[in-house]
Order: sequence, then structure tokens, then C-alpha cells
Amino acid sequence: MGRPRTFDEGQAVAAAAELFAGRSFDGTSVDDLVTCTGVHRGSLYKTFGSKRGLYLSALRHHIDGDVTRVAGEISAAPPGQAVERALAGGAGLGFLLLAATERAAADDEVAAEVSRALDVLDQAFQKDEQATALALGLLIRSRADRPLTP
Amino acid sequence: MATIDIIADDLVVNVEGLDKLWALKSSLTIPLANVRGATPDPSIAHEWKGVRTAGTYVPGVIVAGSFRNEGERVFWDVKNPAKALVIELADERYARLVIEVDDPRATAELIENAKRN
Repeated sequence: MGRPRTFDEGQAVAAAAELFAGRSFDGTSVDDLVTCTGVHRGSLYKTFGSKRGLYLSALRHHIDGDVTRVAGEISAAPPGQAVERALAGGAGLGFLLLAATERAAADDEVAAEVSRALDVLDQAFQKDEQATALALGLLIRSRADRPLTP
Repeated sequence: MATIDIIADDLVVNVEGLDKLWALKSSLTIPLANVRGATPDPSIAHEWKGVRTAGTYVPGVIVAGSFRNEGERVFWDVKNPAKALVIELADERYARLVIEVDDPRATAELIENAKRN
């Protein structure tokens, strides 16, 4: 019998998502998670099982929140402006990009979540996978301040 | 120091050398179904460990044996905190194992992968 849970799991997951989005999986220590969520170390382990367990919860939170919100903005864009809308909301896709490049190849559950997020974006682009690829590619280029030459 | 093996559907922890004496335990076998996850955690050894119920505790030198903290029983076998690995359990005598392994990162991946397969 442990101490009853006294923290808001949703808030802890949201705080962890922000941390993982900024520092990556490998760059985030359990100490970082304890500090940013304000949750006792034992409670983190008890609730999420491991750092990876919390990472998966955080990634699902990001997809159900940020990615779905950006997808809604893409769906609502006037004809021809969907990719622009994606780029405007691109800050909300940062964790997805990082998860795809850092963890998806090494972790099939992360790969499945990334795939789910791509489905959400493909749907928003009217099943135009090339548009999803273009938007995500442009977001990666924008991180290096290298937009496509007009 | 301990070694971890996955044998069939079990996680087997073998406590090595004299640590068996300090920890009063030589091995633990846990069904993988009761393993919730594994995390390298070099800082956990600096936290309050609770009340020792069996084993050895010399601060800064060795933590080995069974400790009770906030109603949970935790098994420790750590001399070098940099190599500490936390294994979270469910429905077991211990809520958590904190053990020193040679390569915490690789061992965590071994355990997390075994759980998924």
C-alpha cells in the first residue's frame, strides 16, 4: 500500500510533454521530470512505470492536443492555404518531429503513435500525404532557417 | 552490482559477489508481466531511502537490502549511484528494485523491449 496519489496526472503529463519537446527523450533526466512536474520521484514511477512510460503518455497528450488542434486549423484553411496554416501552427508539432526522428526507429510504440499523428495530419490535408510531407519538411527546414527558395 | 537476464517470461536479477551478503539476497525472479518499466536514474541514490528492514546501509558507500518508504518495500543494491537502474514492479513483494548494473541504459532497453514482445 503506497501513499494515495495527490497530484494531477494530466498536469504532470502536460509539463512532461513540454520538457520532452524541448530536450528530447535522452536529454531529459528523471531529476528534470521531478523538478518540472513537481511530482515526487516515487509517485512518478508508481504512476507511469518508467521514464519511457511517461514519455509515451506525454506523446499521446501532444498528439491528442497540439497535433489535433493544428489538424483542425489545416482542415479549416481556405483552398490552397492548408500548408501555410500548418506552418503557422508548426510550433505545435515540435514534439512530434522530435519523436519521429529520435525515438520512432528504436521504439515501435513510439512509431505507432507517430504514425497515428501522421494519419491525423493526412486526414486534415484531405488524404494528400504529399502535403503532410511538404509541411513537415518545411518545418524541419525552418528550424535551420532555410526556407525553400521561391 | 547485479546482472539482469530475461529467461523465458521472467526477469532474473542476480546479485553478484559480496553484495549477496550485504543485501541478504542472491537472486530475484519476477514474471515480466509484473514488470512495469525500467529507467536509468543516477540521482535516486541521493534521495531518502526510508527505513532499512534488512541488509546494509553505509551512506555514501553502499545501499543493499530491503527498505520501507511511504508504505512501499524497495530492494536496493547500489554502490555507484551513476549506474543505478530503477525497475518498477506490480503485485510483487517489492514495489521497486533499485540496482546497480554495468550498463543502465542498455539494461533498461533490454527490459522495456522484453516487456513489449
